[in-house]
Amino acid sequence: MSLLELKNVSKIYGELHALDDVSLKVEKGEWVSIMGPSGSGKSTMMNIIGCMDKPSLGEVLLDGVDISKENKKNLTTIRRDKIGLIFQQFHLVPYLTAVENVMLAQYYHSMPDEKEALEALERVGLADRAKHLPSQLSGGEQQRVCVARALINYPEIILADEPTGNLDEANEEIVVDLFHKLHSEGTTLIVVTHDPEVAEVAQRTLVLRSGKLHKEKINENFTGKIHFND
Amino acid sequence: MKKRRMFIRMITASLMRRRSRMVVALLSVAIGATILSGLVSIYYDVPRQMGAEFRNYGANMIFTASDGEMSLSDVEAAASKISDEQLVGLAPFRYENVRINDIPVVASGTVPEGVKATSPYWKVEGNWFTKSGELMVGANVAESFRIKAGDMIEVTYTPTEEDGTEAELDNSVFFTVTGIIETGGPEEDYIYMTLEDLATLTETDGRIDVAELSVSATSDELADYVSGISAGSAAVSASLVKRVTASEATVLTKLQALVLLVTIVVLALTMICVATTMTAVVAERRKEIGLRKAIGASDKSIIEEFMGEGMLLGLFGGILGSVLGYLFAQQVSLNVFSSSIVFRPLLVPITVIASIAVTGISSLMPIRSATEVDPALVLKGE
Repeated sequence: MSLLELKNVSKIYGELHALDDVSLKVEKGEWVSIMGPSGSGKSTMMNIIGCMDKPSLGEVLLDGVDISKENKKNLTTIRRDKIGLIFQQFHLVPYLTAVENVMLAQYYHSMPDEKEALEALERVGLADRAKHLPSQLSGGEQQRVCVARALINYPEIILADEPTGNLDEANEEIVVDLFHKLHSEGTTLIVVTHDPEVAEVAQRTLVLRSGKLHKEKINENFTGKIHFND
Repeated sequence: MKKRRMFIRMITASLMRRRSRMVVALLSVAIGATILSGLVSIYYDVPRQMGAEFRNYGANMIFTASDGEMSLSDVEAAASKISDEQLVGLAPFRYENVRINDIPVVASGTVPEGVKATSPYWKVEGNWFTKSGELMVGANVAESFRIKAGDMIEVTYTPTEEDGTEAELDNSVFFTVTGIIETGGPEEDYIYMTLEDLATLTETDGRIDVAELSVSATSDELADYVSGISAGSAAVSASLVKRVTASEATVLTKLQALVLLVTIVVLALTMICVATTMTAVVAERRKEIGLRKAIGASDKSIIEEFMGEGMLLGLFGGILGSVLGYLFAQQVSLNVFSSSIVFRPLLVPITVIASIAVTGISSLMPIRSATEVDPALVLKGE
């Protein structure tokens, strides 16, 4: 059984088909990129996979559960237990320190554990910045805190929305390396990105266009490492 | 770190972060709490203060003999039913017809300290009489006889024999006039001396015609005293001076209604201010709320966090308000009634709880809108 399966999923707003009869499968431990121009349906798909929206038609099976039928409350629980989110804008709580931001995810999930949160920061190479506020961290560092927060509750899937969109090349590489590390540890990764260099690092790239699955590309030379063209 | 510690850390950090906005909210809660605690202090102190104020207008209770005669001990026994704190003054009076220069005048024997307490409005030119051999005369008497303070006058009384006829020999005593009384009332036609001097002059002892009392109590309590005394004493019949007690009750009711109204208005304004601030805070933090929900916060958690912040604000505002409220009430009391207010410790928890309740209630609507934030807004940097 696939970890995630979309069966004929459509999301319709009046006349607009933001997603139009999309079907796809993501296996456990897979690293998938989703690409596409603006308005192609990436965000809509992201919202549906992230349990923040429900499809108008079709089924979404996450770990065997059809999340398209669940109510808002259950979706929150599923999202909390199964999905780790990484955002383009990092979205750290500005008045909490790095370690407290990581603990926030634990707080809503189960019980805050500072030791474990510090270990997560250590995994992203930020152990020495644990007591800093987001305003005292660089963009790359903030994104690494965001990664630490996403992985703290051992989610089934890490869902990253333009994770490198606000980063320079050096930090982009650090974040992709982190993804590589997570992937090699068995974490399932779904990365929505505009950046072909980031997309191509994945094992498989899905290209959306006008709400439909336009193209699917398997990376034969998968290394999990980023190679800049210039 | 325990969940509760993390919760406290989050709400305090959040309040500290939005310091300027929160100071405004805190001030509005504190001002509301100040007015609440101040006005409630005044509300409960007004009867006492007003009572003291009204006692300046004279006695509000009268004792008369219910049947035959009443003695000073009857009067004192009846008055002992009134608590010492509430009994402001007791002035017994005995009246006799005496003569000055062979012209009849009404003499009253009384206790000067009692009269001072029950009738503070008496204006005395010169001094009050304090002991035997001294008397005060009413302004009309003084004018008729051209008496002034410091004069010696002879007061004559013709005793009645046992058979009812007038005695052949008059009693007469010399007195020093210590002061002239001006009241604008019938007191100006009398002369006043001690009960003992009047007893000596008339050679009869102990009778009291009327006693005036000044009692600082509510109209209900006064009515209870009156019925209690009249029922419990064979010699004494108590009654109220209706004019004074009724107007006191009216003024009191109006004043308390005003205080209540102002308190309600101020509390409503505080609620509006807190609600506005919380609405702004929720709007400002939409992203953060979205993030919290995206990483798994339930609506319950969001409500708890914002309610926690609101209530913390209420707690601090309430504490600040109780202190400021006491000072405010003290100032009002000193300026209006020229006396200090009684500190009521119970008012501190009441004010704090009321402030927490007010901030809690006014946070309800903004918090409701916080739970409606869509977690998807954190994606795509929207």
